[in-house]
Amino acid sequence: MVFLEQAIHVLYFVFAGIIGWFLLRNLFKRASRPGIVYDIVYAYCVIPFLLRVLFIK
Amino acid sequence: MNIKATLSNPKARAGLKAAFLALALLLAFLAGREFHELRHYEETVVSAPGLTERKMLSDYLASLEGTWMDSPVFVYDSGVPGGSVFVMGNVHPYEPATSLAAYIIMENIKVSKGKVFVLPQGNRSASTTGMLANAYPKFFSVPTSFGAKKYRLGDRGTNPLDQWPDPFTYVNYPSRQNLAYQDIRNMNRTYPGRPDGTLTERAAYAVMELIRREKIDLAIDMHEASLMYPVVGTYVAHDRSFDLAMMAAMTLTAGSFDMKCESSPKGLRGLSHREWGDYSDTLAVLMETPEPFIDRVVGPMTEQLFTEGKDEFLDVAARHGLTYVPYSYETGAPLWYRCGRHLSGALEAVAQMGAFFPEKEVLVEWPGYEELKEHDCGYFLHDPGKADPKLVFKQ
Repeated sequence: MVFLEQAIHVLYFVFAGIIGWFLLRNLFKRASRPGIVYDIVYAYCVIPFLLRVLFIK
Repeated sequence: MNIKATLSNPKARAGLKAAFLALALLLAFLAGREFHELRHYEETVVSAPGLTERKMLSDYLASLEGTWMDSPVFVYDSGVPGGSVFVMGNVHPYEPATSLAAYIIMENIKVSKGKVFVLPQGNRSASTTGMLANAYPKFFSVPTSFGAKKYRLGDRGTNPLDQWPDPFTYVNYPSRQNLAYQDIRNMNRTYPGRPDGTLTERAAYAVMELIRREKIDLAIDMHEASLMYPVVGTYVAHDRSFDLAMMAAMTLTAGSFDMKCESSPKGLRGLSHREWGDYSDTLAVLMETPEPFIDRVVGPMTEQLFTEGKDEFLDVAARHGLTYVPYSYETGAPLWYRCGRHLSGALEAVAQMGAFFPEKEVLVEWPGYEELKEHDCGYFLHDPGKADPKLVFKQ
């Protein structure tokens, strides 16, 4: 059970990394929502995922 | 310069995106630096010379070793047979007058009969992160004769860096009572805990094991509460400890400050005052002091509000009868008042245990409400630079 808890915990950090990567990729390369406002949104939304993956917040 | 033409130029657009990303990374760095500082800051405490042993919660549950929930337990044993008392602070680290009260106990304690166990950081992980979206200060300072001593201002629940994700509904073990999802990280909803549960449940289990293995006679859990919450300025006592808590409340109200007493509800599970008593033989008591800082109606969440407890909005609320303890802007609810209440509240509970159960008597001294009223908190803290290094601890 403790191992399972820890495995899920680590998995969620991996998910955070994957989502952060997708946001970064979509900032530079995306087919829909081409507006400049979305550039700002994608760049800003990287912050929480980055801080989580770096084990800061 | 044509903005539309610039935005449609792929190279210029890529440069703009890179600039936005650089700005976001700068913001992440500035915020991350502050989060990192709170996460890794260590508080210093100088123990009184009567310290006989320093244990860790992981001594009671090995799987906590190396985690952010492992926390030191300080033991003061007089060597004279008597009862045993356990005092715990900072289960909710956004109520840190409780850890400061525990530190004042540790720095000044004299035990002449029985044993006292002090756990100043009940939920150490929660003390390493701030409340989401409340724009809290990260630290508060206590002025002393050797300079200001800085302490962490934490969160209510375990840091998500240590326990994540939260479920949709938290089901307390073993009662199976459904609670709010975030309460899975709230140590005072996870008792009696389990050895193979979440990190918070395991820490709760370690505290239960401490109480059971050390045969704790009286266990005291210190908290702070908002003034608009009914359970404020009160003891909450388990069935077996209700008489002693009621006597302690009456004695304090007659001599020092208003103190209420409430019976632990049997239908509300996971709380220390209920589960400590149900899952061990201890006499369980929880204490709440008034902390304006965590009330919902107050103004800016500043360090001054935390240390002085003065807020004009709360003053208006009090004048309209919306608070459960008397409150005025003039007096506020300063740190010395809240720590003093806990220190005298714990001393009175210990004294009443000795009166009700002479075989469990513990004779102990530490500063109380009147001493803090006269000298404030910093007077009772010692200079780590001049203390015996063996008695200086960082956590």
